[in-house]
Amino acid sequence: MIGVKVQDLVKKFGDMVALKTISLTIEPGELFFLLGPSGCGKTTLLRSLAGFYLPESGKILFGDEDVSRLEPHKRNTGMMFQSYALWPHKTVAQNVAFGLEQQNVSKAEIERRTMEALDSVQMGQYAERKPNALSGGQQQRVALARALVIRPRCLLLDEPLSNLDAKLRLEMRTEIRRICKEYKLTTIYVTHDQKEALSIADRMAVLKDGNILQVGTPLDVYKRPMSRFVASFIGETNFIEGKVVRSDAGTALVKTERGEFSGVMVPGYEVKDGQTAYLSMRPECIKIEDIKPEDNYLEGKIEDVIYYGEVAHYVFKSGDFRLKISELNPKYLTHSKDKTVYAYIHPEDLVVLKD
Amino acid sequence: MPRNFAYFIYAITVVFFLCFFVWPIWQILKGGFVDADGSVTFAYILEVFDNPIYLEGLQNAFTLALCTTILSLLMAVPLAFINDRFAFPGKKVFGAMALLPIMLPPFVGAIGIQQILGQYGVLNVVLDHLGIISQGHYIDWLGGEGRFWGVVVMSALSLYPILYLNAQASLANIDPAMEEAAENLGCTGVRRFFSITLPLMRSGLFAGSTIVFIWAFTELGVPLLFDYNRITSVQIFNGIKDIGGNPFPYALVTVMLLFSVLFYAVGKGLFGRQNFAMMAKASHAGEPKQLGLVGNVICTGLFCIVIGMALIPHLAVVLVSFSGDWYHSILPQHWTTLNYEIALAHNLTVPSIQNSLIYASAATVLNVLLGICLAFVIVRTELPGRGLLDAMAMLPLAVPGLVMAFGYLAMCQEGKAFSFLNPTENPTALLIIAYAVRKMPFVVRSAVAGLQQTSVTYEEAAQNLGCPPLKSAFKITIPLIMANLLAGALLAFSQGMLEVSDSLVLAQKQAYYPITKAIYELMAILGDGRFIASALGVWSMAFLAVTIIGASILLGKKLGAIFRV
Repeated sequence: MIGVKVQDLVKKFGDMVALKTISLTIEPGELFFLLGPSGCGKTTLLRSLAGFYLPESGKILFGDEDVSRLEPHKRNTGMMFQSYALWPHKTVAQNVAFGLEQQNVSKAEIERRTMEALDSVQMGQYAERKPNALSGGQQQRVALARALVIRPRCLLLDEPLSNLDAKLRLEMRTEIRRICKEYKLTTIYVTHDQKEALSIADRMAVLKDGNILQVGTPLDVYKRPMSRFVASFIGETNFIEGKVVRSDAGTALVKTERGEFSGVMVPGYEVKDGQTAYLSMRPECIKIEDIKPEDNYLEGKIEDVIYYGEVAHYVFKSGDFRLKISELNPKYLTHSKDKTVYAYIHPEDLVVLKD
Repeated sequence: MPRNFAYFIYAITVVFFLCFFVWPIWQILKGGFVDADGSVTFAYILEVFDNPIYLEGLQNAFTLALCTTILSLLMAVPLAFINDRFAFPGKKVFGAMALLPIMLPPFVGAIGIQQILGQYGVLNVVLDHLGIISQGHYIDWLGGEGRFWGVVVMSALSLYPILYLNAQASLANIDPAMEEAAENLGCTGVRRFFSITLPLMRSGLFAGSTIVFIWAFTELGVPLLFDYNRITSVQIFNGIKDIGGNPFPYALVTVMLLFSVLFYAVGKGLFGRQNFAMMAKASHAGEPKQLGLVGNVICTGLFCIVIGMALIPHLAVVLVSFSGDWYHSILPQHWTTLNYEIALAHNLTVPSIQNSLIYASAATVLNVLLGICLAFVIVRTELPGRGLLDAMAMLPLAVPGLVMAFGYLAMCQEGKAFSFLNPTENPTALLIIAYAVRKMPFVVRSAVAGLQQTSVTYEEAAQNLGCPPLKSAFKITIPLIMANLLAGALLAFSQGMLEVSDSLVLAQKQAYYPITKAIYELMAILGDGRFIASALGVWSMAFLAVTIIGASILLGKKLGAIFRV
């Protein structure tokens, strides 16, 4: 197992700067996610790690080795492409064996390891099929086996699940985590699907416009986003703008046109007294109550209800301001639209953002 | 592909094209515009337009090209349309048969047409039997104006498949929803064809028409065999003997070149830009419409007429090749295989087949090597100027073969830089290069198409697994585009076997004659020359049949893309 380090990496395409001086440290054996909207540079970063893009400046280290200028075929990374890139003129077994053939491994060894890799993704019985005779999920498994079989220094996954249907995606993401941990692989996983990242990442980096905005565990990033962009990109949230009345020791009191609220600040991104601040409230953190709470609440009416079965989404209207609220095991489905209710949020769940 | 290697390939192909495409053309322009003292002059060019004989030749060439293109369009578009839209018996067979004329060398067919339309040919005898005309009043169909129309018909019959393929590819590109939308709004049938379908096909059709126009404008073989001399191409051919001292052949070639470039530019500029981007891939496959009895009869009838007309000249050639004597009768009076024996025994025949095989296959190998390299540089690198390279590789389609042949001859004259290639001694090297340059577009187009359809991630995946870049290209990409390469190579090969202009102009010693020149020479022999030439023609046709059928099986509908510039 080796760690991967990215130091001050800059990548340009013509005048367009795709990566703006990026630094990142990925621990050995970690399942690390690169997350961001399309065009944020996550795939550029992944392809730079694989060696398909040469950076303008900066370094990439695999363990202690500087691989920044190394050609792709000498980096020994196992990459899984978004389109899988299974060669249609080769069988499943030939696809998987290809990487080993490049390493001068003996025939018997190639055969043994190929079958082993196929078995570990439950594709052993399809060894002699051609890729286009496989379903999307099966192709995905073969692509994974092909990347794993060469025992790469790190595994690079480029939106590996984007071509699968919703149900398979759920199944495969835990499968990928199982395999990465079983092979003890340092894995870098690119996706724009925050659910994938939140559910299986050890840590993740959120990118935007070629910059890394935040690095942390899923819990950190979700609970303590450092900006409005991160808060709304990872999960859903409501924002209220206000002025900081008082801030100290990680908490702040903010005055908005809908009243005063206290919440927590994110370490490193604290607001100061008198500054403009944005309050982020996750829909599931807000509780609807009939009785007026002591503080940290909005007064208003339930304007609309969208029922999903296990959960309901409410549109809560307070003055001209609308809040999204969600409730498991919903109780306010048939609530009168004229009756005043209260939306309460615990200070611990309310994040005060600078930007 | 490693950057240094890409630059290397780039340099080689640029040098090759500079030497064997740009340089010969430059030699012609110099001959046309520079006088003996080395100063620029327009006198020679103006002289061409002053000379009534040259002027008539140009007019005839233009009219010939125009008539040929219109006739080809009239044959190709309806056939492509009904083949795309309707289901009728024998649809597939007819579709394939319609392409047959591509591989029938038009200038061999000219022998057949003369047999049919000559004064004592089949048509007059048939009319005589029917009592419409009587002996003594036989019409010379190919006399006077008739000779011109003979050339037009023969050229159109051999060129319409290019337009057929173009039309077919264009039709396949049209999302059926476009037509359904028109139908939904109440526009159907013929009106819909002219207001929706034809405009959508237009850019593809014009690309093909430009090529057909230029090819017909500069056609040498057919007019030569019809003995039709009042046309620029033949005038140039006859002027070649004077290439050493006389500037007028140069001036004439320059004028032809300028006109060709003009037509090409007009075709590209006017119609090439209007390529309607299809917003989406066809949302669903268009279902061919089932037809009733009348529809079936009309569809198959149309195909039968066109294919029949296209095949008659060549059928006649086959008959001629098996006839002992065929004069003043509907069918040959005697059947014999003697012609084949004589043909094989003739000291022109066997060497000419050998020569053609050597020239065409060597040129094809050169083509494929250069073509793969070029395609990789064009599609897979971002080197500056690769767009220009792409355009340059396609240009030989637009520059007439006769012009190129003349340029080669000019650049190999005594005292010039390439005099070591002078064809009067041994034309092998020059012919191989000439064939390769002329047929390059076929190979480059098909290789480029193959690469564009093959995702670069296939190669990246191989590199990622430890395979070096060049090896990845060979182990992964080349097998994936093999069908395209083979098809392009087969086309280049068959076109090389049939090549007329370079062969007639550059092969000057009997020992080095390719098939086409041998046929031309045999035709000139009085008595049984015609029969022996036909036998050799049949040989070459059989040869080509195999290669073209192979290519169309490999590429299917994509074959049409090769002819789009």
